[in-house]
Order: sequence, then structure tokens, then C-alpha cells
Amino acid sequence: MSAAVLGGLLAPQMVLAAGVLGVLGAGMAAFNPKFIKSLMILAILGAFALAFGARPGAGDALIGLDGLGFSWQLVFYAAALPLAFLMAAESEVAPALVLGSLLGLGLLAVSANLLMLFIGLELMSLPAYLLVARSRGGAQNSVEAAIKYFFVGGAAGGLYLLGLALYYFTQKTMAFAGAASLGAQAGVALMGSAALFKVGAFPLHFWLPDVYEASDPELTGFLSTALKAGGILLLMRLAALSPAGPFARALPWFGAATMLFGAVLALRQERLQRLLAYSSMAHAGNIVLGVGAWAALGATPGAAVAVFFYLAAYLFMNNGAFSFLKASGAKTRADLRGLGARSPETASAFAILLLALGGVPPTAGFLAKLLIFWEAFKAHLYAPLLLAALGALLALGYYLALLKDLYFEDAPAAAPQLETGSGLAVLWTCAVPAAVLGVAPWILTYMSRLLAL
Amino acid sequence: MSHWDAVAIVIDLVLVLGLTGFFANANRLLGPHPVHEGDADIPFETGERPIDSAADKMSVLYHRFAVLFVVFDVDLAFLMPWALCRGSLTGTLVVSMTVFTGLLFFMLAYFWRKGVLECR
Repeated sequence: MSAAVLGGLLAPQMVLAAGVLGVLGAGMAAFNPKFIKSLMILAILGAFALAFGARPGAGDALIGLDGLGFSWQLVFYAAALPLAFLMAAESEVAPALVLGSLLGLGLLAVSANLLMLFIGLELMSLPAYLLVARSRGGAQNSVEAAIKYFFVGGAAGGLYLLGLALYYFTQKTMAFAGAASLGAQAGVALMGSAALFKVGAFPLHFWLPDVYEASDPELTGFLSTALKAGGILLLMRLAALSPAGPFARALPWFGAATMLFGAVLALRQERLQRLLAYSSMAHAGNIVLGVGAWAALGATPGAAVAVFFYLAAYLFMNNGAFSFLKASGAKTRADLRGLGARSPETASAFAILLLALGGVPPTAGFLAKLLIFWEAFKAHLYAPLLLAALGALLALGYYLALLKDLYFEDAPAAAPQLETGSGLAVLWTCAVPAAVLGVAPWILTYMSRLLAL
Repeated sequence: MSHWDAVAIVIDLVLVLGLTGFFANANRLLGPHPVHEGDADIPFETGERPIDSAADKMSVLYHRFAVLFVVFDVDLAFLMPWALCRGSLTGTLVVSMTVFTGLLFFMLAYFWRKGVLECR
């Protein structure tokens, strides 16, 4: 790896790595935790700025940046900011882990080789297990959830390596070189199932609700946006290896099944974080459907606008929803009752986010769903499209039920005192784009320009 | 790769599953079936009866050293190929390996400072 690659394409990753070292060093010197936290935020902002300034190009056999990696890198770093601002300033450990996970995501974005993709995949996941284990704000035993997450993630890594071995055996290379033979197709399917694990797609989702419920709310926001975007990028790289292969053709069905399953299970949840976990599964289903449609339409990087826009909109919607949980301290649906009257500014932000998550017309969530469904329609995926639309309808049910709790229910006699204020800025920063991105069509033109870089 | 390779993979899979299944259960299928009584079912540990259940939790003070050992051991494995091409080391290789070793020392210093190396 030459110095030109290190200083050019890998500059954001270098900043993040320097951030890890700086944060650990500051912790070693017993600096103020608040200072360490701002160091982390600076590193993330610096990485974002450098990633935005980078211009795609070929690096070497392992590293290369295309429009897809460029755009996804922006999503990764932006998705980490709510967590960075909201997490408790305790020690240097959590900031170092967040930066390490982001470093893995950044490597995932610039990988031009299946082996580099694996390194990125592991580096993004390993700190996440530890972050989950360190959570104290979740509803469940976080160590148990972290161990579950670890074993499932380890199994996914093993599947990926098995598939990679099979791919290498048949293709004699680990570069992105298509999948001409049956063995290579099987390898792609095995690697793809690892990506489906990471995304939490239907048969491989069982770890997701427990992990998302046991984590701190702001960490769950990070897991469900940044890490999920990483899994989606992996999925797209693998689907692009053989866009007409059996794995890519199965993707729409996985997406539709995930969408339906998540929506149905979210309907009966009382605990908010578990409800949002299943809701994030439903959204992941939509995105996987979009990836399937993208592959069916030829898997050109410039055509991934629908998936990119969905991820960008979802970044704001879901991080906003989880920062509401953090800011309000609400745990169950009962805590929401009458919140609209008690603290209108918090409740209205959450209401906007719920409408956006549900896909109600003027919001970003609506445009995102519309784009995905339109792609699926263009790719003639009528049956998965119908199932996903049914899921979207069901999903509206639980979002509207939460709205009803907010505004049309009286507060119980002993209303729990909600702490508001701390996360309000982050909450509104997420709620405003979630509302207005849907009525700004120029953003799509801009996004396709980024993707075609 | 032809379709015969796929057949080979399937045959391999059948062999692997069949053989491991057979060996895992061979004793139950083919072995004698002695009557279990008395001390026969107790774990044998130099003739002593076990004090407790083996599933109890116990404090392992040295696990951190074990983990650290594994980490640094694996990291040092990367030095091996580097040392083998000592004749043809270019500037970049020297610099990158110096940075790598420096990172190892940095992490060791971090663990030391954080009290990980103390046996409490």
C-alpha cells in the first residue's frame, strides 16, 4: 500500500485511526472525559470532511473508491454523529470503540477486494459487540445480548470466509471478478448470507430484537443506521458480482419477507425499543428489496439512488426516533400517553419522525419508499413488491398507534416524569431533514451525481 | 469448474456429515452398554471425589494475561515474514513495520497504565 493511497483514498480512515490512538492516549493521560468525547466528535467530523473532499479513483489491488463507496462513506460518518453527541462522557473506551467501528465501515467503503471487505466487516462488528455489552440504558441484560450478537456475528464471519474460499477456489482471485461458475455462485451466496446476517434479513434476524433492545437508545440508532448501511454495502458489492445470479434474484424475496415479518411483529410490542427494533427490521426489508431491484436492473453504481436515498432518509428518521427515546427516557407505550400535552416540543418532533418512518406523503420516508417500490416495479418484481406494500400498510398501523398514544390518550394519574432537554437539539436536527428531504427533489439529482462520481 | 465439481462438493458434504455423525455416535451404537452405578458417572480426578459442580463460576485472575498474550502473539506473527525478507527491505517496509511495532508498544503502555497487568 503506497503512501499515495494512504494519504489520498485512505485519508478519512487515517484520521479515524489517529482518532483511536489519540482518544486512548488521552485516556491514558487521565484527561477529562468531556475532552475525550469532543476529540472523538472532531475525528468523525474530520473524517466526514475528508471523505466529502475525496475524489473516487483506483488505488491498488486492495483499495479503490467508486461512487458507491464515496456515497456510503458519507452515510457511515453522518450516522455516527448522533451517537457521538448523545453518548455519556465516561471514559475513553466507548469513544475508541465507536471510532474503531467507523474505521471498519470506512474500510468497507474503500475495499476493492473481497478480503478487504472481510477485514472491514470484522472491524466494524467487533467494537459493536463490546459497545452493546457496555450498555447500561437498555431494557435487557446487555451482556447476554452482546454474547448472542458475538456468536451470530462470528458465525456470519465464518460463512463469509467459507464463501470466499469457494469463490477463490473457482475464480482464482479475490478481486471483484464476477461469478462465472456454479462454485463461484455458491461462494457468493454464502458470503451474501453473512451480509444478510448483518442486515438482519428475515431468516437470519433472530439476534436483532434482543440486541437492539439491550443497547442504549443512541447506540441502537448507530447499529440500525451505520452498521446496517455497512451490511447493505456488502450486500450490494456481492450482488454486483453476478447481478443475474441466483443470490441476487433471491434478494427481493428476502426483502419482502423481512418487511412483512418485521411489520407484523412490531404490531404487538409494548416496549418502545423493541417496537423500533422490529420497525428497523421492516425498513431493512425495504432496502434489501431495493438492492434486489438494483441488481435486477444491472447493478450499475450510478443507479443506486433509491437505496442511497432510503439509507440517508433512514439515517435521520431512525437516529431521531432513538434520540427521542434517549431525550425523553420513555420506555413503554404507556410512557407516551399524554406526552403531546406535557411536553409539546419533544412530542411534535417525535410525531414528525413517526410520520416519516411510516412513509406518510410529504416526508422523506414516503419518497424513500416510493423510489424503492418504483425500482422494484421497473425490475418487474411484482409479487415481492405487493408483499412489501402490504408490509408498509401494516407498518403504518403501529406508527399511527404511537401517534394516538402521544396526542389522543390522557396521561395516567401518576405520569412518569420525563427528562427532556439533553437530546432535544439532536432530535430536531434529525426531525427537520426527515420532514423536508421528501419535498426536495434536487437532492436526488445531487445524489445521483455523487454516485456517478 | 464443471458440474462434476459440484457433485464432488456434494459427495464431500455427505462424507463429512456422515463420518462425523458416525464417529460421534459410534460408541453408543457399537460399544458395550455397562450398567452405570456407584462412582462410575463421577468425573475421575486422581481418585478424589469432586468438591463441586464443574459448571460453577470461579474467579480467573489470569484470563487477561491469556488474552493479552494471544493478542501480542498473533501480532508478532506478522513480524516473521517481514524478518524473512530482511535482505530486500525498502524504506516503506521499514517505516510501516516501525509504525506497527510502535502501535504494539503504545497498546502495551495503555494496558500497563490502565492496570490491566496487575494481578489482583
